[in-house]
Amino acid sequence: MNTEDRVAINKLPTGVPGLDEIVGGGLPEFSFNIIAGAPGSGKTTLAHQFVFANATPERPALYFTVLGESSIKMLRYQQQYTFFDSAKLPNSIRFINLSQVVLEKDLGAVLEQITKEIEKSNPAVVVVDSFRTMVRKPQSDLDLQSFIQRLALFLASWQATTFLIGEYAEDELRDNPIFTVADGLFWLRQTPERNSIVRKLQIIKLRGQDSVPGLHTFRITDAGVQAFSRTFGLTGHLKDPPSHRRLCFGIPELDKMLGGGVREGDSVLVAGSSGTGKSVLATQFIAEGIRQGEPGIVAVFEERPQAYAERASTLGLDLETPQKDGKLEILYLRPLDLSVDETMHSILNAVQRIGAKRLVIDSLAGFEMALSPGFRADFRESLYRMIFALTGIGVTILSTVEVDESFTEFPFSTYSISFLTDDIIRLRYVSIDGQLRKIMVVIKMRGGNHAKDIREYEITSSGVVILGKRLTNYQGLISGIPVRSDRSDPSEEPSQDTGIEHKT
Amino acid sequence: MNDAGLNMTTPPKMRDLAHRLLAYEAVEGKTSELEEAATLRVYEKLRQSLGEFVGATGFQSLAFRALTQAKSEAPGLWAVQIAADGSLQGLGEFEPQLVEFEPQLGSGKDQASEGGVVLIARLLGLLLIFLGGTLTLRLVQSAWPGAAFDDCNSEIRRKA
Repeated sequence: MNTEDRVAINKLPTGVPGLDEIVGGGLPEFSFNIIAGAPGSGKTTLAHQFVFANATPERPALYFTVLGESSIKMLRYQQQYTFFDSAKLPNSIRFINLSQVVLEKDLGAVLEQITKEIEKSNPAVVVVDSFRTMVRKPQSDLDLQSFIQRLALFLASWQATTFLIGEYAEDELRDNPIFTVADGLFWLRQTPERNSIVRKLQIIKLRGQDSVPGLHTFRITDAGVQAFSRTFGLTGHLKDPPSHRRLCFGIPELDKMLGGGVREGDSVLVAGSSGTGKSVLATQFIAEGIRQGEPGIVAVFEERPQAYAERASTLGLDLETPQKDGKLEILYLRPLDLSVDETMHSILNAVQRIGAKRLVIDSLAGFEMALSPGFRADFRESLYRMIFALTGIGVTILSTVEVDESFTEFPFSTYSISFLTDDIIRLRYVSIDGQLRKIMVVIKMRGGNHAKDIREYEITSSGVVILGKRLTNYQGLISGIPVRSDRSDPSEEPSQDTGIEHKT
Repeated sequence: MNDAGLNMTTPPKMRDLAHRLLAYEAVEGKTSELEEAATLRVYEKLRQSLGEFVGATGFQSLAFRALTQAKSEAPGLWAVQIAADGSLQGLGEFEPQLVEFEPQLGSGKDQASEGGVVLIARLLGLLLIFLGGTLTLRLVQSAWPGAAFDDCNSEIRRKA
């Protein structure tokens, strides 16, 4: 059929931040949907958000309550959410209690009551909360299936978008004839993971349009349900073309080692053990960006933003002023039950707020610890999605990662995530002449030349300062216990790697 | 702490609203009607309006609680009862001894008037506690679409 011959399905806003993207742009108008999940999973709140987003005096919403939560209690609690607009009651949203009919009569009477109210109000939205409680009366499955079928047909004819809310356990999903009637099936889960609670949403089916598959995390805040799409709200966003710009650290010798700086849109990993200056380097990267007119974001997990800014000031870097000027945001993300999608949502919001070009994640270990235990298992995969999405919109990411100092190995990262990064800078301690000194080396730069030199550096009151020329009079520097060699001619120019990728 | 529901007297704001609703219904009704007729009409409108939203059982529970509170404040309500369907019964029956031996309580007409105000105020007071001022006023507005309410403290007036 030609595109122009097809009926256009109008998409209604769900009223749930993040959910429109997940359902493919909005909920299909006149669809018959079921919201299923265990008690406390957010079903009623989600339905309320949809109702408040779509009800008008001309096309109101009818919210039928059956058994279970008392209507007064429901409104008492629901009005605490910011989406709850009292002005919509009762002209745009009518709450109708059917408990008496359910208790005293049969499903036929319930259907009759519902149809009577619908004919009277001509609603755009109908919610039955909770239809499952009607089933608990002793009657056959056929009765309920017939009830749902007739209700669905009736509501479709009356051009109403409908939600039936029901308490269902996971194992009831299979072979349930009720679900075959529905155009949309939303499943809300709430699962404990050690001491954390993780909420997930799945669109099991949605006729008429493409929804984003998989489990999406969501949170219930004072604004109601907030969903976090696995595509981070970037569906349809075309990856920015590769840039040839180089972003400097403002440390001339390091920038030279990097062939002029890191390529815009790269993901850079700074790896080193505790005290080697990873955060200092990251702070200098952000501060230099701001100096160059590139707004930045620092996501910190191990210290408060104020402490982070104060530490920067001891290096002569002013992070307070750019924060006030809207050029820098320091995000503190540590509720201990985060999902990567939620972290990404916070970061993306900040990126869009200030037009950020540089992002520092300090550190990956802190990030991992901030996640709910279940998400830590998927950390690599989640990180991959996040880095891909952020670099895709042109943000240059610098992540710090702590590695165990070993005097026999030279690991780049404890996470085996170096494949996610375009560039790796490795910092480490080395024992030279009875001193514990620090060396730096650029391990890889995808798509660009970089120096192969191993350089000594110090952390001073001005930040990281690279000392002298490359260390030519030592062998085995990366082992941490070098041996002095006879060669001592540091005068030669730094040699450049051709950009051939190292195996990491 | 919001302890309005535990107070021995009706909240002045709800008492004021109850007075106005009763006055509104008294004007709407026939002048020959008894005082309690206005109370019954206000109560019935609330029962219809709230009953749709909380169900008959839900309304009956609220009304029973309101009556229990009101009886401690208005002895004239001693004979009043809430039926299973939430309707009001026994309004207008006065305890003769009270009228005879406690003249400060006023006549039966006074008792009916005061009892009606207290009962309606208590019912509205419960809504205020559970739903807050805005939603309570919205529900009252839906029951009296012919009246105009600006806020809980304003005059109730007939729409032009």
